[in-house]
Amino acid sequence: MNKKIGVFLCHCGGNISDKIDLDKVEEELSSNPDVVAIKHHDNLCSLEGGKIIKDQILRNDLDSVVISACSKVTHGETFQNYIQPLNPYLFEMPNVREQCSWVTEDSDKATHKAISLVNSAIESVKYNEPLSKIPTQVKNKVLVVGAGISGITTANALAKQGMEVTLIEKRSAVGGAMVQVGKVFSPEKLTEDCAACLLNPVINEMVHNKNIILLTNTVLEKSSRRNGNFDVLLRKKPMYIDPEKCTSCGRCTQACPSIAPDEWNEGLITRKAIHKPFPQAVPSTYTLDDEDCIKCGACLKVCPTDAINLDAIDEVISLTVGSVVIATGHQRFDTSKRPEYGHERYPDVISQMELARIIGVNGPTNGQLKRPSNGETPRRVVMIQCVGSRDQLPGGNKYCSKVCCMVALKNANLIRTHYPDTEVIICYTDIRTVGVYEKYYKYVQDNDIEFIRGRPGEIAQEDDHMVVRIEDTISGIREEIPTDLVVLSAALEASQGTIDTANTLNVAMTEDNFIKEKHPKMMPVTTDIEGIFVCGTAQGPKDITDSIIQANAAASKISELVNGGLEVDPYIAVINVKQCVLCGECINNCIYQALTKSKHSIHVDPISCTGCGDCILTCPQEAISIQGQSDDKLIANIEGILKNKQEDETVIIAFLDDIGNVSANNMGINRVDCPESVRIIHVPFINRVKYEHVHYALTHGASGVFLGEYPDNSKHEQIRENVQLMKQHLERDGIDPDRLLIHSVFIPYFRGLAKQFTDFDEELKIKDN
Amino acid sequence: MNEVNKFIPTKDITLFRSCLVSAEYPGTEASTKYVFDKLGIEYVIDRNQSCCTGLGHYYDIFDELSTTALAARNFAHAIKNDHKQYVPMCATCYAILKNAALTLNTKDDVREEINESFRENGLEDLVYHKDDIDPVNNITHVVDILYALRDQLPKYKKRDLSGIKIATHHGCHYCKVHYNDTQGGVRDPEIVDQICEAMGLETIGWYDHKKLTCGCGFRQRYANRELSLETSKDKLESLYNEDADLLLVICPNCHLQFDRYEKVIQDETKHEKYMPVLNIAQFVALYMGADPYKTIGIQTHTVNVEPLLDKLGIEYEGVDDLHE
Repeated sequence: MNKKIGVFLCHCGGNISDKIDLDKVEEELSSNPDVVAIKHHDNLCSLEGGKIIKDQILRNDLDSVVISACSKVTHGETFQNYIQPLNPYLFEMPNVREQCSWVTEDSDKATHKAISLVNSAIESVKYNEPLSKIPTQVKNKVLVVGAGISGITTANALAKQGMEVTLIEKRSAVGGAMVQVGKVFSPEKLTEDCAACLLNPVINEMVHNKNIILLTNTVLEKSSRRNGNFDVLLRKKPMYIDPEKCTSCGRCTQACPSIAPDEWNEGLITRKAIHKPFPQAVPSTYTLDDEDCIKCGACLKVCPTDAINLDAIDEVISLTVGSVVIATGHQRFDTSKRPEYGHERYPDVISQMELARIIGVNGPTNGQLKRPSNGETPRRVVMIQCVGSRDQLPGGNKYCSKVCCMVALKNANLIRTHYPDTEVIICYTDIRTVGVYEKYYKYVQDNDIEFIRGRPGEIAQEDDHMVVRIEDTISGIREEIPTDLVVLSAALEASQGTIDTANTLNVAMTEDNFIKEKHPKMMPVTTDIEGIFVCGTAQGPKDITDSIIQANAAASKISELVNGGLEVDPYIAVINVKQCVLCGECINNCIYQALTKSKHSIHVDPISCTGCGDCILTCPQEAISIQGQSDDKLIANIEGILKNKQEDETVIIAFLDDIGNVSANNMGINRVDCPESVRIIHVPFINRVKYEHVHYALTHGASGVFLGEYPDNSKHEQIRENVQLMKQHLERDGIDPDRLLIHSVFIPYFRGLAKQFTDFDEELKIKDN
Repeated sequence: MNEVNKFIPTKDITLFRSCLVSAEYPGTEASTKYVFDKLGIEYVIDRNQSCCTGLGHYYDIFDELSTTALAARNFAHAIKNDHKQYVPMCATCYAILKNAALTLNTKDDVREEINESFRENGLEDLVYHKDDIDPVNNITHVVDILYALRDQLPKYKKRDLSGIKIATHHGCHYCKVHYNDTQGGVRDPEIVDQICEAMGLETIGWYDHKKLTCGCGFRQRYANRELSLETSKDKLESLYNEDADLLLVICPNCHLQFDRYEKVIQDETKHEKYMPVLNIAQFVALYMGADPYKTIGIQTHTVNVEPLLDKLGIEYEGVDDLHE
């Protein structure tokens, strides 16, 4: 390959030239026939440096360029601009500052190493191809799964930015948990606000926004990825009642003979099979629950507008969207798993949500606090916290459900305010009212609510009342508290809808079955799958405010994708169509779902593909490569490093991933000594290094190969297995397997990395002698 | 209910004898053997076996190291005997042995100290090697086996035991110590209820204080006698309220507490009602036709079981020479 290469040596104002004899480097390089121009400059990153580079490119008609300077992180982009008119991908930057002059004590050794690094870049740049960033277009259509406060909020935010939103809801009315709770606690004000009054404007906005299509009684049934989009299938339950014709007269409900528990009132009362979920329901049409309907036809006879069709069938809707938001919410812990609390046995043991319905003005008692057993006002109410939360035993959730303290305080305060003769006792584990919520806690305490620290062991019935047995863990005293009503604060759990949706979309879940975020700290609302986002309690227990924040964040991330005029780096997988047999192995392996199969080819989605190169290993046909980062280029890197190797010299080829490379740069910035034998090659992902590379290095003069892997990646186990396999291959090929080493790397642990290098270097020196 | 994944043996079993079973309710052991023989379970009794130390351990007479050393000794005999599936009849033996195996496998210094003392005393054959015994899969309670084979029980049915109100009490040392290995539920223990169900017998299910300890608490029974008996009383009173005819247990400690102390409690509360207590193995043996005296050994019980047999219409012969 005859290419005209220009090499530019930056002094970096002495940072490099004080240690490295650049004249010697130049002298060494001048014998290389491929190098047609060599120039020095004090600061190549300056505008003057830029001029020199451009001038040489034009004067010598250079094909590609090597700039020996600092790390690519610091000035990669600068030089990408300086090498115009060359294609911005036709250059390499050997890092002779952070990874050479700053970490090597001895000047001769540093110079020798610098030559090796520049040689590596010269050999490797020959394989650079002209590439361009890939412009991408994400469809501005979004599917939002779940129409609670989170789903509605995100739908509104997206629609206002001009996106076409399909909002689906499994139930027959929107609003999720928030429409049921009656009152909500307010973070700033020391009051309880009307939930419906806060939610209705949000729902109205959604209903009136022309960019939103709302589909109730609808679930996500199937999803497949194609060209970065999602082809989804939705199933909508039969529309037994035509919303256009229905006038909400209610005659059907009167006529219906079939009775079922009213889920909107937590089963405290019953409803008919044909009914309106609740007075303020949106959509406001009547609905028919086909599980309860006996198809007797009584409703047909009384409907004045012929709106009912009992033979209606379900509808399958297909849709292509660019993004999906999972807003499938939570469900509450099944209290029958705590038989000692007797929720199923005793009518006067209820859940917080049942209490919310009882004291809700649109609830079964029109807001009157009454004991379910006898309709009397309770003289005392005992609340039990952490039922199913913060529980290490089998059958419990280990996490804190986060909202229950505030929910209990809210309901306790409502009771105390409206029924001053009713005592309220809260049995708690710890009260968790972080931030300004603490003010509300104090406010409620002042309203004469009693707190006992402890988890009751059992609830029993005695005569006309209940008895709560508890040990007060502060005083150590065991007590039996007689009470009229017991309220259980049941844990928030991942809903079945969340689990089903995660399975359909192939999105990872946490150990608690909530939707897993790409990074639990730094990447909220983003999932492992590019284009799929999560918000609200589908991601974990949280209150309304936090849900709204997440919903808006998800909308904003989608906006980035759609409106950002996204250009992505061209380092993505490419498939050789001639070699590919469409076996699909790569598709199953890719954790980013970046690959999809059509009739005749495998398609790579440039947005989803990270260029990790993991698919290369899985392809039985060797049909996959990473654009601009071929296997041959990696070999050329190694070849260049070993070019000036001396007879008795120990050389370590260190492949470091992104994190490892930054850690190595930190060694330089902090002037931590690193053995001069270490030559770093930056790879996007450790699995990118194949056995052929390791074998080539160890049979062409390298004493050892070091792999630096950031362990927090989902292929970690496989990478480690792979290394074991490579070691077996080395043994088979008569090479000492201890010459290959893999080690975990972390950005702040650069001293640890330096120590690993030193230990490996010493070990290899013993082996070499 | 969480699925428990543990191996349930039907052969190579060392039936681990219990001091309380042998001394107080030998019918439990005879019944277990009777039921195992019917079910074709292969087991041996090891004459070399020593006590698990449970009682001494919970009285703080035995320290942890001695307890673990004795367990290592017992394990060595079982392995030598080619019957390393350890099956205790007592919940305390079960919990203690599992703990000891876990300690021996995970604490190298403890294992070494014990092995060293074996070597010093010329007992090299007792040396314990890491992972000789798997605490999850090599140590199972009798009730685990009955539960696993519960569907086979009706094949051997000889007596109709229906028509009585059965209550169950699940030993703390089976349910609450190694709860990840507990079958039939920890929060709402139902392993005995489900064995009954398989025999076509209904139990009263949940009752107030179902999860409460029997009250024995080992040294509590003596050191804190009032607290101990108060606890047993709570449980018994709840069972009287339920009108239970029979209480089934899985541990001789519970058996002893309810059976021997019911009279003591009655003397104070002036209750007239007495409730017989049977180990689940005794109850299954009764179902399979075992002799109430010769096998089930009801003559060693303080609360007479005969009235219950009368209620069930079961005829019994022989003289109970222990009562009167």
